Amino acid sequence: MLQPHCQSDQHQFSRRRWLGTAATGTAAAALPLFDPAVHATLLQRSAKQVLFIWLDGGISQLESWDPKPNTEFGGPFRAIPTSVPGIHLSELLPQTAQQMQHLAIVRSLCTQDNAHSSGVDRIQRGDPQDRGVVYPYFGSAVTKLLGPNASGLPPYVWIKPLSGGFMHKDAGFLGPQYGSLAFGDGKPPQNLLQHADVSDRFLQERMDIRAFADRQYARGRPAASTAANGFVYSMGLELMQRRQLFDESTFSSADVQRYGTHDLGRHMLLARRMLEAGVQFVKVNSYGWDTHGDNFNGSLSLVRRFDQPFAALISDLAESGLLDQVLVIAMSEFGRTPRVNGHLGRDHWPEAWSLCMAGAGVRRGIAVGSTSDQGTWVTSEPYDIGHMFHTWFTALGINSREVAWDNHGQPLPIAHEHCHPVAELLV
Amino acid sequence: MFGLQHHSAPCFARPLRLLRVVLLLLLVWFRPIEIVTADDLAQRIDSLLQQSLAVAQVAPGPVSSDAEFCRRVTLDLAGRIPTVAELSKFLSDPDPQRRVVLVDRLLDSPEHSRRMADLFHVMLMERRGDHPEWTLFLRTSFAQQKPWDQLVREILDPQEAPEQIRGAAWFITRRLEKVGQQETDYPGLTRDIGRLFLGCDLQCAQCHDHLTISDYRQIEFQGLYTVYRNTSIRTDVKFPAVAEKPLTKKTDFMSVFDKQPLLVGPRVPFGVEQEIPQFESGQEFAVAPDRAKNFPGVPKFRGLQLIAQSLPAATNRRFAENLANRLWFVMFGSGLVNPLDQLHDDNPATHPELLSAVADAVTAAGFRLRPVLREMALSDAYQRSSCGAAAEAVLYQYGREKRLSAEQLLASVLTACGAGAPTAIADAASEAEQKRADAFVKAFGNIPGEPELEFSPSLKAALFVLNDPLMQEQIQPRGGNLAERLAISSDDTAVADELYRAVLSRVPEAEEVRFVCEYLAQRREIRQQAISNLIWGLLASTEFCLNH
Repeated sequence: MLQPHCQSDQHQFSRRRWLGTAATGTAAAALPLFDPAVHATLLQRSAKQVLFIWLDGGISQLESWDPKPNTEFGGPFRAIPTSVPGIHLSELLPQTAQQMQHLAIVRSLCTQDNAHSSGVDRIQRGDPQDRGVVYPYFGSAVTKLLGPNASGLPPYVWIKPLSGGFMHKDAGFLGPQYGSLAFGDGKPPQNLLQHADVSDRFLQERMDIRAFADRQYARGRPAASTAANGFVYSMGLELMQRRQLFDESTFSSADVQRYGTHDLGRHMLLARRMLEAGVQFVKVNSYGWDTHGDNFNGSLSLVRRFDQPFAALISDLAESGLLDQVLVIAMSEFGRTPRVNGHLGRDHWPEAWSLCMAGAGVRRGIAVGSTSDQGTWVTSEPYDIGHMFHTWFTALGINSREVAWDNHGQPLPIAHEHCHPVAELLV
Repeated sequence: MFGLQHHSAPCFARPLRLLRVVLLLLLVWFRPIEIVTADDLAQRIDSLLQQSLAVAQVAPGPVSSDAEFCRRVTLDLAGRIPTVAELSKFLSDPDPQRRVVLVDRLLDSPEHSRRMADLFHVMLMERRGDHPEWTLFLRTSFAQQKPWDQLVREILDPQEAPEQIRGAAWFITRRLEKVGQQETDYPGLTRDIGRLFLGCDLQCAQCHDHLTISDYRQIEFQGLYTVYRNTSIRTDVKFPAVAEKPLTKKTDFMSVFDKQPLLVGPRVPFGVEQEIPQFESGQEFAVAPDRAKNFPGVPKFRGLQLIAQSLPAATNRRFAENLANRLWFVMFGSGLVNPLDQLHDDNPATHPELLSAVADAVTAAGFRLRPVLREMALSDAYQRSSCGAAAEAVLYQYGREKRLSAEQLLASVLTACGAGAPTAIADAASEAEQKRADAFVKAFGNIPGEPELEFSPSLKAALFVLNDPLMQEQIQPRGGNLAERLAISSDDTAVADELYRAVLSRVPEAEEVRFVCEYLAQRREIRQQAISNLIWGLLASTEFCLNH
């Protein structure tokens, strides 16, 4: 197996950093040389970005991507036609239905875990075979495999309700520097905002003095330490100087209305801005999808709150052309049972469920796979999360069957070796 | 032996020197165990490294300057940079033995005990938080110069009395705390005992003989696991304490590969298995449990005691090699064996004879740390300059850069920016001080469970230095601190000199004086802020945040 391109010196270099984003200007000059053979593909790949929308708790496939109206378990909602003839979605997704020409729906997911606590981990880590190591979440994996891009921004940003900060858990064996920078309720983490006493001019002067001191120190010494330290300061300054990225007051009122003023709407709008600014991987979390009770009223409000900003975002990305380089994924840890329980709820159902994807490398306007009439079982080839990881890596230009992790000398596949990319989903 | 290298002090120092010799002789008298020490270790280090440099056909790098040495050794032994006054005194000291005198002064300072307590806290707990009883245990132990074997014995088989050492139990109890729905991490505790006290990461040997390391067999893990998985956190007392159930039979285990059932009793890795004595039912306890009080009782046969007797022992070579390797890492920035927890036959030391010599010295010193650290600090190898090292320099040809811990960074920031005296060591930190210390650990420490080894700058740390009020307050003028002293002075050259001495512990070069003077000359009207900017720029520099 080939190893990922970021090995040897570059591997060393990036392991020492919190994360592997390329810097601009002087810090980039200090990067050890890449292997020229992979340099071109690296640049080509690094334009790719990902938006990963996580609907925590489990969106009901029957009230979204795979409606079964007028069946025993179908529930009260109708199916509506979309912009793609022949593909129907739940009526709870009216605006998304109008963007169907950009989307690819997978209706034949069949996965292994029906518990939240382990399921979230398994799905986001791609559920690899157990080798006694903790695999990285998709976001950490992608930023490691794609390598630096030119934005100068942290490569893996997580927009979520509640608290923020530096989240290392996602990184698994890649090491904490591949964790995410989380914006709790869209707000920047501690110490990102400039201290009130320090003007922009002073900030720049301080950085200049720091740089002078480092040049002095580096004379007659290997450049590794000063390069590494300079790199994180450059990134810190870059983030601070682009603090308008986090300033919600600068969004146009038209955009705010289009995306919605609720959490998910605000966070999706922020996500669009992060993508436009060049952040490599943006994860947006929405909580509360675990509708064991009153699934239908729950879905009525939840799915609609997803529909509005999701459709707006797809439409915006398509219009600006960004959709050609951004892979968009919207999913949960599992679907929900067709059978309706005694509380008018649906329980956990990993046996047959759906997700939606769009963008870079993905075929548009398709619905892949099928389930039985009542939505209970997959009737086409079942796809595990490993198939999705293979497909997503391939869509991003990463050969998931040749590239392997190097975990301190232990070679590990980046996606489950018994799965494969789903050809019909790929361009 | 202490003190025998003080012969050539100049005459004016003689009365003091005599007093010192008498005192040291007295000390030696009262501490007979130190007669057997490692007092030629420095020479052995240098002769062995000399040979390896000769084989590599390179000359050793230059000796560090006095300023470089003063900063390096103060950081290593006292956990902070030197004050301006300490540096000046050292730089102007005509005594040719001044480096020896400095090393001895630092080793005898209370700050050294504190530095050792901080260092071993980070090494042993790997940022899993802190506990006042554990802190008390470490600080008391290092203040008493407790030998390493005794300290490890107290950790491996913690006792509830005396009060100063009962906190040792936190090493075990912290690792036995439940996390969410996960099972109690007995394998993790077993693994850490192997890693930290024997330098052997036996993780893979939990389920099978290690595939690539022939001496890490499954039985090495299982024999230790047998004892520690029999423990739990005591709930009948408020302080950290470990309960041990009676051990009545051997553990059965099998390799995941050949599925051959095997048995093992209590056994120190690489040691001899101990028989488990059988008692009649009801006779297992030396002190009977008391259910009403949740008191777990004390079994007659205690596996913990057995491990604590035979693991930290002079006869256990791996125990000595592990300490030797870890002390070497602390002082030289690289293990003789790397990674530090991969001591085994297939991973030989970079300098096997040196590892052997240091392990001999550690054993001969009765596992006391000071004599060994002293010899290391006095070696030529330790005192080589780090300046001039190319990326391809031979190991130990030059001094190596070492990561500073959050504790060293905090103490150094306070020393650099403060009123000129070293920060007083309070036994109990005030609330504000504790908050500040926690903030530094959060910004500069690794995540829980990850050893802190190499320099790894992070965005989190950079943002802390850039914007945190705790850093800003250090560079604002107040109460005779560095910012205020510099702001009062109107002599820019003198400002440059004190700035560099205070923050980077050296005299500025002409170019640096020019840089400071030009910067200040253009900012007469905002001089005070300009001075804060200069201090910040040097605090954020790589030179400040490394030991080099």
